[in-house]
This record gives sequence, C-alpha cells and structure tokens, in this order.
Amino acid sequence: MTSETDMTHKTLALEVNGRVVETRVPAHRTLLDALRDLGYVEVKRGCEKGDCGACAVLVDGVALDSCLTLAWTVEGCSVTTVTGLGNRTEMHPLQEAFVEHGAIQCGYCTPGLIIAAHSMLSENPSPSEADIRNGLSGNLCRCTGYTKVFDAVAKAAGAMREAGETS
Amino acid sequence: MRELRSIGKSAWRKDGIAKVTGAEQYASDVLLPRMWHARVVHSPYAHARIISIDTTAAEAMGAVCLTYDDVPKVRYNERIVSTPPHLYRDRQVLADKARHVGEAVAAVAAPTERAAELAARAIEIEYEVLETIVDPEAAMRPDAEPIHSSVLLGGTELPIDNNVAVNRTIEVGDIESGFARADHIFEREFHTSRIYHAQMETKSVVCRPEADGGITVWPTTQSIHNVRQLLGEIFSIPLHKVNVKRVAIGGTFGSSIQMNSVIPICTALALKARRPVRLVSTREEDIYDHTRYETRIRLKLGVTDDGKLVAGQMEALADIGAHNIQAFALLSVLAGWWVSLYELPAMRFHGTAVYTNKAPSCAMQGFGNPQATFATETLMDEIAEKLELDAIEFKLENYVGLGGTFWGQGPSVQSIVQSDGVPELLRVGSDKIGWQNRPDPGSQTGRYRRGIGMARGFHTSGAGAPKPGEVIDYSGALVKINEDGTVDVVHAMMDHGGGTLDAIAKIVAEELGVPVNCVGISPADTLTTVYDVVTHATRGVYAGGGAALKAARKAKAILLDYAARVLGIEVDALVIEPDEDLCQGVIHCPSVPERSITVGALAKLCQTNSWGSIAAVESLRQVNAPPAYVSYFIEVSVDTETGHIETRRVVVGADCGTVVNPAMAVGQLEGGLSKGTGYALVEDAQWDPETGQLASRGYWVDAKIPSISESPRLENIETYFADTYEPTGPYGAKGVGEAATNPCAAAYANALHNALGIRFRQLPITPELVLAKLRAQAGETLLGGQTAGPASAGSRGT
Repeated sequence: MTSETDMTHKTLALEVNGRVVETRVPAHRTLLDALRDLGYVEVKRGCEKGDCGACAVLVDGVALDSCLTLAWTVEGCSVTTVTGLGNRTEMHPLQEAFVEHGAIQCGYCTPGLIIAAHSMLSENPSPSEADIRNGLSGNLCRCTGYTKVFDAVAKAAGAMREAGETS
Repeated sequence: MRELRSIGKSAWRKDGIAKVTGAEQYASDVLLPRMWHARVVHSPYAHARIISIDTTAAEAMGAVCLTYDDVPKVRYNERIVSTPPHLYRDRQVLADKARHVGEAVAAVAAPTERAAELAARAIEIEYEVLETIVDPEAAMRPDAEPIHSSVLLGGTELPIDNNVAVNRTIEVGDIESGFARADHIFEREFHTSRIYHAQMETKSVVCRPEADGGITVWPTTQSIHNVRQLLGEIFSIPLHKVNVKRVAIGGTFGSSIQMNSVIPICTALALKARRPVRLVSTREEDIYDHTRYETRIRLKLGVTDDGKLVAGQMEALADIGAHNIQAFALLSVLAGWWVSLYELPAMRFHGTAVYTNKAPSCAMQGFGNPQATFATETLMDEIAEKLELDAIEFKLENYVGLGGTFWGQGPSVQSIVQSDGVPELLRVGSDKIGWQNRPDPGSQTGRYRRGIGMARGFHTSGAGAPKPGEVIDYSGALVKINEDGTVDVVHAMMDHGGGTLDAIAKIVAEELGVPVNCVGISPADTLTTVYDVVTHATRGVYAGGGAALKAARKAKAILLDYAARVLGIEVDALVIEPDEDLCQGVIHCPSVPERSITVGALAKLCQTNSWGSIAAVESLRQVNAPPAYVSYFIEVSVDTETGHIETRRVVVGADCGTVVNPAMAVGQLEGGLSKGTGYALVEDAQWDPETGQLASRGYWVDAKIPSISESPRLENIETYFADTYEPTGPYGAKGVGEAATNPCAAAYANALHNALGIRFRQLPITPELVLAKLRAQAGETLLGGQTAGPASAGSRGT
C-alpha cells in the first residue's frame, strides 16, 4: 500500500527549521511522530494527549502541541523546533536565559517551554506576570516548581525587547 | 581554610546548552541502524491467570513475539540496593500471572512503532479473571485471593500468607515503662495518598545485541551498574559483555532506582530479533507502572508536663501494590525517619507491607519520609497546642541534633550527627514569616481565613554507615589529567537534573586547583566506570562527590610529585591555583615565584618523556549519613465558601552544609515546594475497587500535578541556607534534594489548623475535604457521602 495512488499516504513537503524536507506519511501520523521519525528528536514525547506541552513546536510562529496536530495539516507551513531557534554558538535569548537563570533541571520539558515562551513573546513582547502564567500553563515541569522558568522568561522578554527582536 | 574558587559560586550547568538547544540525548532519542520498535501487551485485568497466548496473527504480520515461554525463568528483585539476604524476589521478565492492570504479559518487536502496535493488538490472550484486591486491609483477610503464593527471599522460597509481603518490628528501650512516665499520651491516625511520580520522560530503553554475544543498553535508570548486573544475571551473559550506557534522564524522582520492567523485556526482544530494539513506554503505561507508597500510620507519643517526649509508638500499614520492590527497606526507613526526628528514650515500630492488585509502589522523593514526617510534624504541632507550648520551642527541646544518633535509613545505618543548622533554620524562618504574629487557631470568622504553619524535617545524605548493613552504599571515580591541562572525571553516577554531576566537577576543580570550566564529566558506561550504587537517598554530592574528591586527591599527589621533579622544589612547598585566562591550573611555589608550570605543560611533559599518565581511580564508602535539615513556614488563606487554599507565602530553609552551587540548591528547594504542594493539596491516584483501574485511566489531565498557574508568586517564595559545615562531607557539603519536599505537607496541615482550628490528617487536603471538615465543625449534617468528594476516605484521622 505504498503506491502514489494510495489515498491513505501522502508525500509532504515540510519546512522544518528553514529547510524543506520531504516525508511520506499516513493520514493518521501526528506531527510529533513525523518529526521524530525524521530525526528531530528534540521534539519530546511526553503524553501524546496534549496534557504536558513537551512536544510543542512553532507552526508559522505559533506554538502547537505536535502530538495533537496531524502532519498532513501543516503541509506548506513553516515548522520550528527548539533546535531551529539557536545553537551552541548562537543561542536565542530565551535559550540563554534558561541556562543563565537555572530554569533547567532534567531538561525534558525545556524544548516545549522555550517554544511556548517564544510563541507568547512574539504576540506579547511585554507580558505581565499573569500573561506569562497563561502562556506557559499548557506546559508541565516536575523538577523546577516553575519559579526559575518564570524568571528566565521575564528576563528574556526584556533582553529581546532591548535587542529589538520584539517591540 | 583557603578561599574556595569553585564551590559556593553559581555557575552555568555543563549540560545546560545541550538541554536548551535540543541536543541532549535521552533513551528514547537513541537511533540505531536496523533498529526495530517494541510494544508491550498489558493485562487489562487487575488479577488474572493467563490461560493461553496466541501470537500466530502477530507473527504472520512479521513481528517478533515474546511470551512467558520465551523468557528466562529467573525470579529477580529489580532493586539490588539492599544486600542479597534482604532481597525479596517476585518478578520475572514477563508475568506468569497478571497481578495489576498494566502488567506486562507479552511483547512484540516490528520495523516501525505502528507495525508493533498493530502486532501487539493482534495477540490473543485468554485470561481467567480472579478476585481484584484494591484495599490493603481487605488483602489481609484470610479468605482473600493470594496475589503471590510464595517469593524468593535471598535464595530461599518464602510462602506468602494473607498477602503480607513483609512485617518488621523495631524496639528500642522499654516502651511500657516509657509510656508510664508520660503525663500525656496522644494517639492519632494518618493516611497518606498514593501519587504518581509524574516524571516528564516515560520509562524507555534501547538494546543492541553485539557480535560477541553481549549487549549494549541505553536505559532510563538511576543506576547503570545495577541494570548491568541484573541483565547479566537474568540472561546469563558475563558482565564484561553487558555494557549499559548513561543517557540523560528526564526526571525520575525515585521511579528508576530499580531496573525498570521495560529493560529486560526490550533485551529479550533484541536477543530474539537479533537486532537493536527500542521500547518507549506510553504515558498510560508509565502511570500504571509505579506510584508512591500509600500508608496508614497510627502514631502514639508520650510527653511530660514540661514538654519532654518520653516514648513513641508507630504502627504503619503500607500498600505496596503488586510487587515487592523494596518493602523491607521501606519499613526500615519509616521507622528510621520517625525516630530521627525527635529523641525517644523508648520506641516501638511495627510495620506491615501488603500486596494489592495495583501498580507496584516504589521510592518517590523522600522514600517514606514525606509520610513519616507528615504524621510526626502534624502530631507535634497538636501536642504543642494542647500543652500550650510554642511549637518551635517544643521541637527544639526534643529534636535529634548535634551529637544525637541519626538512623534515617534504618537501624543498620546509624551515625552521629556532626553538623546541625536546625536552631538557625527555625529562628530565621520564624522571623521571616512573622511566627509570633500568627492568629490564634480557629479565632477567625470571615469568609477568608489566614493561617501560618511550620514543619521541619530532613533527609539523609546517602546510606553509608560504620558497619556493613542491609544497604549497599559506595561510589567510585576516575580522575585523569589531560595533556592540555583539562581534566576528565569518569563517574557512573546519574544526574536527575539537580546538578549532581556539576557539583562533582566543582569538587574536583577545587581539589586540583583548576578552573571548573576545564573539568569535563565524561560520558559514562559500565565498561569504563567503576561501581556506583545508584543516585538515590540524596547521596549524589555527599557520597558521589566524596569518591571524586578521593580520586582527585590521589591524582593531585601524582601531579605534584612530577612537578617537584621538574621544578626542583619540595613537593610540600607546591600549590596549584586556577588561572581563568589560561583556563587551567598553574603549579608554583609562592616563595620561589620564578619557577612555575601549568598543569597542561606538566602533563604533556609526562607524556613526551614517557613517564606515564596522571590518573587515579578510587572507591569510597562514606561511613556516615548526615541529615540535611529543612524547615518550612507556610502562610495560607482559605476561602471557607469554596474550600480553596491559596498559598500566600512560603519560607523554606535548608541546612545542606557547604552549599556547592547556590542557584542549583535553590532550584532543589523550589522544586521540592512544588512537589510537596502537589502531595499536600492536589495529587491522589484513585483506583476503582471493582476493576483495579485508575480513575484517571492513565491520562495526565485527570491525574493532575501542579502547573505554573497554581504556583505561588515568585516574590512570595523565600529560600535560605543555614551556615554549617559537615566535617565528613566533601568541602563540608551534605545533601539537599529529597529533604526539600519532606516537611511540606505537614506545614500546610499546620497552617490550615492555624487558619481554621481544624486538624487534617489525610492527604491530599482538597477543597472538598476542607468544606466537609468546615461543615462538620459547624455541626452541620453532611449531605451524604458524596459531599466530601473522592478524597474523603472515610473518617480516618478525625
């Protein structure tokens, strides 16, 4: 059942972290599984039910739980994982703030938290405390108690405004 | 003492950049050529005999199938931390009988996860359903269906009667005459809940068979060496052919102290399929795999008129679920934590651990300590109130501190307390919260009522002791100086995320006199590291760091011997100091400044002259287990119309000796508060008594843990450290991690009593429970059993 006429499979062209990748996936394949199968294992599988936010990615700049998103529905969209935001030599201000302010422990929730924070800050560069709580309320973290996560996001928001990344 | 260069200063964690850029590798991220994917077939029944398993259809789909007939008939205990005579073995790779919903009864491997899932569904299993036993008291009835007929204790068959896995009685002094001396005797019952660890990463593993008949394994685990030894034993593979690799762990909180059940299943599949196999648990599978020990505790304390404790008795019933992972050890520590809180001239402990048809219980942050401390600290608060004593003074009068005997890890792990920050913790905390200005209990009448509560506690730092006992506890490390002055630390310890390995790097840097940035923590596996028992019992910094310090000292001695030869200066006159610009240490003699050499230049000289490598390997058993003390002061506001509890302020203090990395230590306290709050107010795994299913069905959304929305505001959390030095610890350090949750629930219960005049002796303290208690207090008739909601659990503790 892999012929081109097979209606249950489709070859998708996805733009992931600025690169176009092609993948042939069935209709029921989630974006989470499609990305991990392509080797984007920085997208973490936490619950596959939308409870924890570990699998969040940016789809055209907006954070989505990739476990609740079918791969077919993001065809032609731009997908960004935490790896697409920055790397060891050039970290994104959010990534730097998470390290700087100790907002990481085991690190499993971290990619999803950074993606959720990015999505929130691109809509609202000067978030109030309640905005940050609201923006990160879909992401569970069992290690930190969220205190340093909150701190890191608030500090990154300031750094990003100063750098002119947001206005 | 010389100024410390690395220890005590906050630094970026070494794995931080990898974690924020997605480069960190967890078990489920390991991708290997030719790798297949596994799925496990779980019992949908809580208690059932397996009549037949038909794998024909799954095999026709191309899957490799595994049933009970395929696995080695070895009964094992998955947590080889207790010494062999104290290991209760009731597990096999796949179950011969289903003892809880979610028990693994078969497994498949196939080229894709999807194919494995379809093949798993195609396996047909016929069950004979047996009586489901959910309640531990019902389990002990003579007519209850036996969950295990017998287990192996050490190597001997041990019959199991009345589903009691183990009993333990511990007595010190004469309990009868002890209580006879008491002017007042208080006796109360407490009930603590069964909660899910909720670590973010589900248990996962990859196994690759090797050409020489061996295996390489990448597991979620807290101990690579214990996984290695168990796999070697179960599959009869010599240990030099079993290599277990360290990968990052996405949180465990105790859930991976034991070798996880997916690990031998994946190994068996890989050996049968003759190719690498990956097995990643789903969240539902994980929720049905492990849980904290639920306890029912009857606590009795005798006290004199002037507030001196004279005798204590604890009776504990622990629900261990379907397998005995560490029930013997749990009963030991329940007794140990309790008697190490307050001096009891006479004590008696009796504990019973009972099998039920639920997910197996295992250690979870604090291992019995949150339970024992909840009971003890709630009752101590009540005694102080009844005797009209200040709770802080009453506790200071009776606590086990400097010079006292601490045996948190049980009667065989006793040592003398040599550092004690308790008076400072309580004095500072009470000032910060405004202890003297708290309201009188039950004096308020408005809708919102404010209360302040405190509780104290501790956790051990490791399980070391002067005598060999029931617990294995030692670590080992290799420290190697490289030819450019950088340093490799090869250590088998796992880092849960708290920064244990960063602390070890700091300790080595401090000892060698090099900058911490030039100390690397090497990737670790069981072939290239010496034994480390497991990262548990808050032993990482104290015991793991202690071993690294011992190896670093030896490497430093070799380094200085060579330096003395090269520089022509007596070895005792040499010092090594870090040079941040050179990013390495410089060896010199302060009184002969013209002669110096960098560590790198010396190591290179040793290599080019063929003198040899500068390296040392050491093992260390700590012969003490010092308590890391913690105190909690919490202010709450209770809405008496909704039962909602708002956490207004929290002041958490810790005595962890020298604070190795202040930012990470604060992170441990904040995380401990979050998990402690979940335990106190929110989390409760409820089981259907008929089916043995979780009410949440394994969905996180219905098994709630605290999110950022419920967390206290940043500015309302205050943390601080006592100024102490542990003489037996590396640079004066002891543990912190698990201590951070232990007193939290009791502090909430005491704050609620202060606000409402009502005692809470069961967890979690939900809004429904608050409302039920308020109505009972007002003398209203409860509107049927539903009013109290799922957390009511009868009238226990009232």
